Amino acid sequence: MFKKSLAIPYALFMAIFVLLPLVLVLVFAFIDASDGSFDMITNFKELAKEQALGKVIGNSLIAGLSTSALCLLIGYPIAYYLTKTEFNKKGVMIGLFLAPMWVNFLLRMMATKAVFNVIGFKMGMGAVIFGLTYEFLPYMIMPLYNTLLKIDKCYIEGASDLGATPIRAFWQITVPLSMPGIVSGLTMVMIPSITTFAVTEIMSNGKMMLLGDFIYSLKADSLNMAAAISFILLIFMCASMIISNKYSNDSGAKGGGLW
Amino acid sequence: MENSTEYIIQLQGLTKQYGNKTVVNNINLNIKKGQFVTFLGPSGCGKTTTLRMIAGFEIPTQGKVLFDGEDIAKFPPHKRHVNTVFQKYALFPHLNVFNNIAFGLKLKKIEVSYKKKNGEPAKKQVKLKNFLIDPSTGKPDFSIANDDYYSYIEKGYVKLCKIKKSVNKMTKKGRVKKEVSGYKYYIDEKVRRALKIVGLSDYETRDVDSLSGGQQQRVAIARAIVNEPKVLLLDEPLGALDLKMRQEMQIELKEMHKKLGITFIYVTHDQEEALTMSDTVVVMKDGAILQEGTPIDIYNEPKTAYVADFIGESNILDGIMIDDYRVNIVGAEFKCVDAGFGQNTPVDIVIRPEDIEVKSKEKGIITGVIKSSMFRGVHYEMVCECNGYEFIIHSTVEAPIGKEVGLYVSPENIQIMNKEHVDNTAAVTFTSNTTFDLYGGEYEFDPTTLFENCSYDSEQDILTVNGVEMTLKGQEAQVRFAFTDIDMTDDEYAAPLAGNVDSMIYKGKNYIVDIKTDDNRHIYADTEYLWDKGDRVGIKIDRFRLVSIKEGE
Repeated sequence: MFKKSLAIPYALFMAIFVLLPLVLVLVFAFIDASDGSFDMITNFKELAKEQALGKVIGNSLIAGLSTSALCLLIGYPIAYYLTKTEFNKKGVMIGLFLAPMWVNFLLRMMATKAVFNVIGFKMGMGAVIFGLTYEFLPYMIMPLYNTLLKIDKCYIEGASDLGATPIRAFWQITVPLSMPGIVSGLTMVMIPSITTFAVTEIMSNGKMMLLGDFIYSLKADSLNMAAAISFILLIFMCASMIISNKYSNDSGAKGGGLW
Repeated sequence: MENSTEYIIQLQGLTKQYGNKTVVNNINLNIKKGQFVTFLGPSGCGKTTTLRMIAGFEIPTQGKVLFDGEDIAKFPPHKRHVNTVFQKYALFPHLNVFNNIAFGLKLKKIEVSYKKKNGEPAKKQVKLKNFLIDPSTGKPDFSIANDDYYSYIEKGYVKLCKIKKSVNKMTKKGRVKKEVSGYKYYIDEKVRRALKIVGLSDYETRDVDSLSGGQQQRVAIARAIVNEPKVLLLDEPLGALDLKMRQEMQIELKEMHKKLGITFIYVTHDQEEALTMSDTVVVMKDGAILQEGTPIDIYNEPKTAYVADFIGESNILDGIMIDDYRVNIVGAEFKCVDAGFGQNTPVDIVIRPEDIEVKSKEKGIITGVIKSSMFRGVHYEMVCECNGYEFIIHSTVEAPIGKEVGLYVSPENIQIMNKEHVDNTAAVTFTSNTTFDLYGGEYEFDPTTLFENCSYDSEQDILTVNGVEMTLKGQEAQVRFAFTDIDMTDDEYAAPLAGNVDSMIYKGKNYIVDIKTDDNRHIYADTEYLWDKGDRVGIKIDRFRLVSIKEGE
């Protein structure tokens, strides 16, 4: 009995900070702001009327997908070489690669913008993707590094023993076994980069909007509409979670991913 | 090397060092084709490293690995015609049983000859799926690899991937008839045959994680043998299995070896496993080979007391070879079949427990009292004390505890070996007239016993030899100290030098302990106390004798 009661603070925490907000989002998404009645479609109809929203979703998808892809392309080799002890003596290198996370991201974005202005780089989608990649790269490296570190060397030895060249062993063994890391890295980068807001504003001089910026731009009285967008995002997130779970299970590798 | 084709693997001066540590030290070994060879030794003896150098996972610091006469020491693993069964199985967790086994087959390449356009003969690597099959038999014909590859296409031979075959493909729902390419058909056939050999038919679609340890081990074996390697390397493959499963697999591995007819190189620390399965056992210690031979030879005629102790249970005793065919063991004279040791030579004696016969007091060579008796299934294990030394006896007839009995050993069952070490000798550097440095420890000694005609003068503080004052500092010498001159202590700081217990051998009453110092020197001590392998001990030495001195005065 006593042991069970120890869980009460956590249950309370979960209820107040996890469950309640989720329920509120759901409730607000389906309440008509004008008369306060429960309505399945009003808010979504309103959303559909928003001219800008189509473009915002399009931009979000482009920015989110390219950021994730870039982070994966840059992060995978880094994570891979960091797992080799000769490159990462006593974990110093991984610390260095994750160090940008310790500096406030607004500060970093401002500095990047200043540099871009000096070299004359056009602010816009390209700059936004650069900013997002810069911002979220550590979130890709971390789960990848963890997964790659846990892959037993004996699998690679086994593959080369069976006649696989190092390159083939990498593609047929290392990459599939690091799938949980890839999936959680992608999720960690994709969702936040779609919903972030400050980066777009800074890096595109306020000319571009992602979903995050869109929610931010809504007036305080359109809480219901914001909730409706959040609901769409929630569905998106659930879907990606289900996919990531499926891949993590299929690859059969043990652990390393974040979920 | 005249007859090099007789050997499939030859290790020549093979050495592996990690930094300053020599793990494998100058190994020379010839392995005949089709043999079952076992590297046997305690952990850390270099057996696995040797195997990994044959497999290609470690590059030797020095020496050669000859495979069919060709030095492959620097080849990467994927270019070697050997396959390994790993201790931890190393089955790919993201592939099912079929794909694990087919992994190597899909990568297989065959070297074929062909003629260039200008008619010059050339060779190239052809992937398995592009290999040619004989239209008359429908099977790949590997014998054509040495002829002109393209001429066979003109003759009507077809590439493996181009033909259609129907197979009973194993799916999650059972076997289903399916039309596949000849390449897939060939792989399917091979995988199924390999699974049949290891007794896992119909397991193709299973996840490797869903298999038991024994089944995973079988898949690992199937995955290796499906590639038809000339040499199969097995790195303690049964280590993770329980006893019953292990015994079963031992028999199966032995049968597989007979059936496949390829060379097996097996690594284990289990002497019973080594003796039951091997054609040749190679006993290793400290990166070197102590003895190689058939299991029967190794068991019956161990070359050193260490080998005897490691292989099976035995009574290892000190003896003195009185003369040819006569040996004194713990105070009694035994007849033996050995000659040529000289007269009154100290030797090591090995007598296997089952070779000692318990007789009546009058009929034995030596008398003793039965101290304990334990029933061990087939036999009784008895301990008999004779002149203060213990003999372990295995006999189907029990003698009551406390009874005075006579022990008899027939001459051919007494194994006599030259002693590897009779005492310790070491190079020392004098640091003063009464101290010297031995392997990094500063020992005190009594100069009057170490040097002849050496004495203190009347004031008792100046050393003289024949009246001349002596200064030893800086000089080098060789000293000798007996096993019994050493005191081992728990407190390493209470002695000038410390080391770790490397091995010990029970001599019926006392233990001979091999102490390895930090710079890998061996010091042998005689003690009545039992120490454990790895114990950190201080080495006190009571007495030294001088062997030679470099710049004597």
